[in-house]
Amino acid sequence: MITINRRKLITASAVLAIATLTVSTVPANAFNPNMGSDPGITATTIKLGITSPLTGIASPGYKKIPGAMKAYFDYVNANGGVNGRKITLVSKDDQYIPTTAVAKANELILRDKVFALVGTLGTASTKALTASTQLSKRGVPSLFVNTGWSGFADKQAYPTTFSILPSYQMEAKIIGKLLKDQYAGKKLALIYQDDDFGRDALAGFKTAGVTFDTTIPYASGSQALPATGAGWITKLKAAAPDVTVFFGVSSATTALLGASVQGGWIGKTQFIFGSVGGDATTIANSLPALVPLLRGSKGLSFAPAPTDVNDEYIKLFQTIYAAAQPKETFDNNVVAGMSNAFLAVQAIKAAGKNLTRKGLIQTIETKGASLPHPFLTPLGYSTTSHVGATGYWVGTYGATGALTPDGGKYTVYTTDSGTGAVVESTYKRPAMPAKGLPN
Amino acid sequence: MLKKHPLVTFIFFGVVLYLISNRLDELLVYQGASVAIFVIAIASLILLTGYSGQISLGHGALMCIGAYAAALLRIHYNAPVWLTFVVAVLAAAVGGALLGLAAARLSGPYLAGTTLALAIGLPSIANKFSIFGGEQGISFDIGLPPASLGEDFTQYKWYFWISWSAALIAMYWLRHVLNSRYGRSWRAVRSNDVAAELAGIHVGRNKVLAFTISAGLAGLAGALLGMTISLVSPGVYPLLLSFSLATGAVLAGVTTLGGVMIGAVILVAIPEIALAIANRYGGSETIITNLPGLLVSGLLILTVLLVPNGPVEQMHARRAKHAKNGKASHSPVELTLRVGSKTFSTKK
Amino acid sequence: MSQFLDMFLIGISAASIYALMAISMVLVWRSTRVVNFAQAGMALLSAYLGYELVARTGNFWIALPLAMILGAAFSAFIEFFLMRTLLKHSNQGPIAAIAPIIATLGLLGVIRAVIGFIWGHGDVLLEAPLSKIGYKVGETTLFVGPMGLFVIAFVVTLLIVVTIVFQKTNIGLALRASAYAPEIAQLSGIRVSGIRTLGWAIAGASGAAAGILQTVNGTGVLTPESLEFSLLLVFGFIAAVIGGLESLPGAVLGSLILGLVLAFVQIYISGTLVFIVAFLLLLTLLIIRPQGFLGSKAGRRA
Repeated sequence: MITINRRKLITASAVLAIATLTVSTVPANAFNPNMGSDPGITATTIKLGITSPLTGIASPGYKKIPGAMKAYFDYVNANGGVNGRKITLVSKDDQYIPTTAVAKANELILRDKVFALVGTLGTASTKALTASTQLSKRGVPSLFVNTGWSGFADKQAYPTTFSILPSYQMEAKIIGKLLKDQYAGKKLALIYQDDDFGRDALAGFKTAGVTFDTTIPYASGSQALPATGAGWITKLKAAAPDVTVFFGVSSATTALLGASVQGGWIGKTQFIFGSVGGDATTIANSLPALVPLLRGSKGLSFAPAPTDVNDEYIKLFQTIYAAAQPKETFDNNVVAGMSNAFLAVQAIKAAGKNLTRKGLIQTIETKGASLPHPFLTPLGYSTTSHVGATGYWVGTYGATGALTPDGGKYTVYTTDSGTGAVVESTYKRPAMPAKGLPN
Repeated sequence: MLKKHPLVTFIFFGVVLYLISNRLDELLVYQGASVAIFVIAIASLILLTGYSGQISLGHGALMCIGAYAAALLRIHYNAPVWLTFVVAVLAAAVGGALLGLAAARLSGPYLAGTTLALAIGLPSIANKFSIFGGEQGISFDIGLPPASLGEDFTQYKWYFWISWSAALIAMYWLRHVLNSRYGRSWRAVRSNDVAAELAGIHVGRNKVLAFTISAGLAGLAGALLGMTISLVSPGVYPLLLSFSLATGAVLAGVTTLGGVMIGAVILVAIPEIALAIANRYGGSETIITNLPGLLVSGLLILTVLLVPNGPVEQMHARRAKHAKNGKASHSPVELTLRVGSKTFSTKK
Repeated sequence: MSQFLDMFLIGISAASIYALMAISMVLVWRSTRVVNFAQAGMALLSAYLGYELVARTGNFWIALPLAMILGAAFSAFIEFFLMRTLLKHSNQGPIAAIAPIIATLGLLGVIRAVIGFIWGHGDVLLEAPLSKIGYKVGETTLFVGPMGLFVIAFVVTLLIVVTIVFQKTNIGLALRASAYAPEIAQLSGIRVSGIRTLGWAIAGASGAAAGILQTVNGTGVLTPESLEFSLLLVFGFIAAVIGGLESLPGAVLGSLILGLVLAFVQIYISGTLVFIVAFLLLLTLLIIRPQGFLGSKAGRRA
């Protein structure tokens, strides 16, 4: 009796398994990379996909990016599209967890059948989804990934992936130059997140030949504990550095600023915030009271400042975004998203009407560096490298959290992720095409 | 059939899976591999909690140990894939043994809390020592499927095969262990450890053994999970994973291995179902993100309330009750009494 | 020397937050012998309710007690509907030990999802009513300000009140009896189930205070996935265990120990070891003195 029931149970389980997994099924299709025309593209449409943290611990600030991208794509669509095609963006939430990122990337590639991925966020998530879905074998382009890990610029390892952000080593080297030029002989302190993100910066500082008198590492995640920020301030009080460099995430910046208020230690050191944690607008969104504390601190960026009303790209983006998302504030994240979208559209246009995945990748490699784009640094795309932006400009925060370039104009420094020197760039950004459209 | 010919049943199931894998599209094949991984992980919890009565909220951490062991071996020594999995099992088993030794005297919430603290604390070790690759993790690439399987044999199908082979072998072996004297001694200790001790079972050793084997299985599942996403990093094994496993174990019916498929399938299927619901009724990203959590947690609470021993046990219990009711006319005890030349009997 | 003083004050401030959570966990344990892993979720919900109340009444000092009452009500509701049904259906077999734990885990998930639905995932800000800037003593600024001082005072008061209730009143006696020996308590005429609900209600109030005070004492930002709250749960639990899950003063003592040790590690050793040290502390204590510093031997087993 019981044996029959057991068998029934197993069969039932198998049937249940198949049935459940077939809830949203698509007819079976053998994997065939040479299927004719690429998926995600028709004569009049092109489908792009993005997976990023829309919720979860990494979402503050970043969650605005897909919406910003969509705003720009809609603007282009309303004005004829690109080479006659309208762009759709499928956006998924991976909560900054690599396993989820892989699952969502699978959905985008296999179910939604997007033409290319754009703007995936996070080093671990991007690494995982690129490897697991075999992006290179499938030939799916992964454009302008939102992470500063230098490995993605390696064409051999990641043939279909293109970086956009300058790497953390580049950033550290540029800060290093700043320290040597303007703060030689001063006492230096460094607070950094004790994982590869922070240690990449350490490597960069080492290359730049900078030694810190005090280094304060913190365990990733511990910035949420009540005592952590206070601990940093105590140590800083004891060390009394002239300059303190901060390489952590935004939540750590918030903890630092909050603790400095508590400990009454404000204005005692020159803070320099790395681009990841220095996103004043993210802080402003959650804690407006802390923003004035940023005043006088230095920060880095490679795009024009969101408050720079004289910049033609900023003017355009502001107008577009205000119409598309009137309730949201226009900040760094919006600029980042719209810039990515802009560059993607330019690349697609340059690849021509006869658009293929291979063609797009080749176009970016050969012409990417000369495409119009909003960034203030040159792009390094070539047939041997997939490096995106290669430098930063340094600015100072005002009382409202706006970063204005030191010296009144953008002085951009460029370098590489290796041992190359940091040089002041003479790069002139190409003029924006009329109305910011791919004409 | 399972009881009489377990090997045949498992092989039969394996053949069914092989046939299925050829008919499904890639996304489902990938999810099928995930189901296999959850089957192993949940089974490890059934062993530990259902049979040995020790709760663990930190099995994600044990999976993590196995995964890192496998990935490191692969990256630094280019070890063959099967060896990496063996090492994953051993490394996690060692971790489990240590944890078991420390935890043998704990029970209930103390054990839960300790394993919880482990689940939170372990990833920070990965961040601390650069050999573990930090937040971005280490790649875990098992290579392409062998050429003998043909040009069209996709990577995900390969993962499916490997995961399910591992799952079937592990389940077969585990079933054997649970039906052996070890299984019985675990159940004895779980029911009443004082009586078990008196009966000659060494309680401490018994509990550590359970932890060790459970951890070994979890390590295997962890390595397989790393394989499917080609990455091993702290973010892959968050606290959420440990909670999901506990959930899956309860949904499966913590005391029986039979329901393990149900638990695994539900865990993998819920996000899909949530997505389908959200798409049907037009949902924002908020709903898509929150709905799976709500469904799983709600299901968990309902299960614990209504079918606490799991649907499988419930079915058995009901069957036993029906059987009993059907034979109500029989007396439970059959007596035959001979008095002199007369025979009195309750047999009918 | 000044660094030592800072460390000491930082440790105590942190300890006061852990203590609130630890007290509510001990309360639940002492009245129903369950560890409520959803405590953090309930604290989170109460914090959101506190935010709503502050937004509506404009006054933190009204909102705090109201939120505590709501927290108590919600907690009692959970005990009444969830826990009691649970005990009825699954008081046998291996599931008995873990069912409450699993159920509270499920509850945590449901609460998180509901918060996400209602308040969305945007940041929500709860303003502190008192200044967080440290008091100045001569030249130096101490690391505790009016807000921090309030939290410490609140914890001490709560501890005293609850201890008095537990040790000196009939209700307290009923609470303790219902947990230790429910059948005998029932025979003595105590309505055990009602008393258990009361225990959860008190714990709910304490948890609500923990959630709100932790938020305003920190950055003031609330999100459904607040890392702060997950850590609060674990560290509150560790503190409770160190002091002895049976003992309310133990909860505070355990929090002090945990807070000071972690502050010491943060400042004098390395900030990267906090989680590992916390785990080792828990493990060591469970091995050498499982009943905690102030617990009695009998109460360790589930």
